Amino acid sequence: MAGILDVPKPRINCSMLSQYLNKAVCFVGCVEKVHPTGKTFSVSDGEGKSATVELNEPLEEELSGIVEVIGMVSNRGAIMATTYNMLRDEKGIPFDMELYNEALKVIHDFPQHYPFEVAASG
Amino acid sequence: MSVTLTQGAVEALFKGIEVNNPVLQLLNIRPIISQSGPPRFRLMMSDGLHSLSSLLLATQLNHLPEENLLVPHCVCVLKKTATNTMTDGRRVVIVIDMEILQSADETGGKIGNPTPYNADGKTSSPQKVSSSSSEPSSSPSAAAPGTSSHGRGFTKEAPMKTSPVKFSPSKFSPSKFSPSKFSPSKAASASPGSSTKVVPIAYLNPYVSKWTLRARVSNKSNIRTWSNSKGEGKLFSFEIVDESGEIKITAFNNEVDKFFSLVEQGKVYYISKATLKVANKQYSSLKNDYEMTLHAHSSIVPCDDSQDIPTVHCDFVPIAELENKDKDSIVDVIGVCLSAEDVSRITTKTSREVSKRALNLMDTTSKMVTVTLWGEEAEKFDGSGQPVVAIKGARLSDFGGISLSALFSSTVMVNPDIPAAFSLRAWYDQGGYAVDSQSLTEVRSSGSGITTNWKMLSDVKSEQLGHSEKADYFCCVATVLYTRKENCLYQGCPSADCKKKVIDQHNGLYRCEKCNREFPNFKYRLLLSANLGDFGDNQWVTCFQETAEVLLGHSAETLGQLRDTDEAAFDQVFQKANFTTHIFHNRVKLETYNDESRVKVTVLDVQPIDHRDYSRRLLSNIRKMAN
Repeated sequence: MAGILDVPKPRINCSMLSQYLNKAVCFVGCVEKVHPTGKTFSVSDGEGKSATVELNEPLEEELSGIVEVIGMVSNRGAIMATTYNMLRDEKGIPFDMELYNEALKVIHDFPQHYPFEVAASG
Repeated sequence: MSVTLTQGAVEALFKGIEVNNPVLQLLNIRPIISQSGPPRFRLMMSDGLHSLSSLLLATQLNHLPEENLLVPHCVCVLKKTATNTMTDGRRVVIVIDMEILQSADETGGKIGNPTPYNADGKTSSPQKVSSSSSEPSSSPSAAAPGTSSHGRGFTKEAPMKTSPVKFSPSKFSPSKFSPSKFSPSKAASASPGSSTKVVPIAYLNPYVSKWTLRARVSNKSNIRTWSNSKGEGKLFSFEIVDESGEIKITAFNNEVDKFFSLVEQGKVYYISKATLKVANKQYSSLKNDYEMTLHAHSSIVPCDDSQDIPTVHCDFVPIAELENKDKDSIVDVIGVCLSAEDVSRITTKTSREVSKRALNLMDTTSKMVTVTLWGEEAEKFDGSGQPVVAIKGARLSDFGGISLSALFSSTVMVNPDIPAAFSLRAWYDQGGYAVDSQSLTEVRSSGSGITTNWKMLSDVKSEQLGHSEKADYFCCVATVLYTRKENCLYQGCPSADCKKKVIDQHNGLYRCEKCNREFPNFKYRLLLSANLGDFGDNQWVTCFQETAEVLLGHSAETLGQLRDTDEAAFDQVFQKANFTTHIFHNRVKLETYNDESRVKVTVLDVQPIDHRDYSRRLLSNIRKMAN
C-alpha cells in the first residue's frame, strides 16, 4: 500500500485505461453493479463507459454513488484497487461526472500545465 | 292577364340546366329561423308540371315575404338562380333575384296540378315541405336546406358565374352577414366527398362548410369560470395540431360538461362541426388566424390511427435570435439542458408560495439562455443527463438581459420525440458539448440581478478599472486574506435608513447631523476593510454592513456586544473569516481626496461559489485560450 501512495497517480477515465496498463491510476466513477462476492464491482465514468474494479478483500459496506479508486491497471484493463473512498454529496450538491470528465480531458490535453509527476516526486 | 308558367323549368333547375327567366308559381313559403343571422325562406315552387321544395330565397330578397309580397300562389319570374349540390347529392336552388309578376289574389289559386319533383322520381307529399323542422334533417352531415346559411355570396355583385354557393351546416354561423370572398377552389373542394373526409387544419376558415379534422390535442387548459355583468359561465380551451398546423378550440358552458373529460392531452381525435371565427390573439399565441368554438352539434371522436400526426407543433427560435425578439413575446425554444438549479420555493408579492427552478439551455447557435420553470413543472423536472428540453409558448423576459419564463399555458417537453430534438442531441454528443457557450442571461447567482463581468484581481490594475468617468463593476472569485478588526464598527444613527455616524455628546445622547436629532442610543454598523486575494494579485476592499455581515457571519449588533464583553471571541470571528473563498461583486472607482488619487473598491454583494458554474467557466476559458 505504501508503494502506490508515493507514486504519481494520474486521474483517468475508461478511454485512457489502455494507455495506463500496469500503471498506478486514480479512477473516479459511479458505482454500477457490485458482484455478489463483494470482491469486484463495475463503475461508469463521465462518458458513460464502464470499467471493472477488483478488490483484495470483499467489501464490508454498501457501496454506492461516486467512488474514487486508487490502484493498478491490470493487463486486461481492470483496476486492481489498493484503496477507495466514497465521495459523499456535500451540501446536497451532486458530483458532476461530466464536468469531472471535461477537467480530465483538459489535464491530459495540456500536460505541460499540469506537471503532476514532478510535484509528486518532489 | 294570365301568365304562363314555364313548364319543365323545375326539372331543368333541379338538374342545374340553364333556364332563362323561368316563370313559376309559389306554392308554399316557410321561414327557417336560425340562432344567428337573418331567417331563410324555403320556397316550394311549381311550373305547373312539377313542384320543387328545395329552393331557398337569397337573404337580400327576404323583404319580399316579410312585406307580404311573396305569398303562396303568387306568380314570379326567377331572374337569377344558382344551384348548389350538397355532399349527399341533393340539390338546392338559390333564388338570387326574382320579380313578382302576379299577386296571389290575381292568380286565384294553384295553377295546374304539379307533382313534386324529386331526383329519384319518388313522389313525396307536399306536407314534407311544411313539416320539415328547422332542425337539420336526419343526415346531419348534409347541409340540409333547413339549416341557416350565412348568405354567402348573395350580394348584388354576387358571382354570377355559376360557382356553387356555400352552405354552412352549422347553426351557429357568424351573425355578421358578410359577403365572403370565396375562391372557387374552396368551393370545389367542399363538394361531394364522403362525410368523414379529413381536411388539414390549415384549410379551415369560417367560410368552409363541411370539414372533419384529425388532430392531436397538444395543450389542454383547466376549466375556468367567470362572472360578469352579463352573467356567469365556464369554459375550457385546448389546442390541436396536425401536419399542417394548429388551432385553438374553446368550449363554453354545456359543451364544457360534454367534452372536458373526453378530451385528453396527447390523444388524437376526429373533430367536426364547430364554429370558426377570427382568432383573438390576446388569448392565444398559436399561429392561426382563426380559432374554433364548440357547439351542441360538435363532434369529437377518439381516433386510434394517430400516425403522421405530430405530437406537437413548434416553431423553435434559435437561442441566438432571442436577442432580436421583443420582450414579453411568446416563443418556442429547444436546447440541451446543460444545468439545472435545484428547485427553490419563493414567496411572491401576493404572499403566495411557489416553487421555481432555473435551467440553462444551449442550442446549436452556441448561445445559452436561462429558463425558469414554476410550480409542479419546476418540482418534477429532472435535468440529469443533460436532456434535450423543448418549451412551447415560453415568455421572453428582459430579466438578466434575456431570459425565458414558462407560463401556465406553456408546454415543457423533456427529450421529446421530434426531429429537432434528435438533431440537437446528435450535435451535442458529437462535439456541441465542448463548445463554450455564451449565456444571454447574465444573472448567475440566486436572483441578485447584478450583471456579471468576470475579472481577476490583477485586471483591476492592468485594465485600469475605475479610471473612467463612471465607476466600473466587476465580479471575481477571491479569498479573504485579512479582515481588519480595528475600527470595523462605528456608532450609527438608530433611525431606519439612516447610516450616518452619530456624535457622542457624552451626556448619554447621540446626535445625528443628517436627521438633525439626538438619540439616547445608537446602532452598531459595520464598515469592514478587508484584503482579498486570488492566484495572481490581492486587493483591498471595503465592505459595508450587509456584505460585512455575510463575510463575518455575525450581525453588527452581536459583534458590538462581543467586543465589549468577550475579546477573544471577537477576535475569533475575524480569524474564521480568513481564507474563506467567495464570489465578490464589486464597484471600483478612482477617487481623489486632497490631491491624492486612489482606486477604491467596494463590495456590493458576496455570494457563495457555485463550483460547477465556476468549473464550467474555467473550462470554457481554457478551451478559448487553447485555440
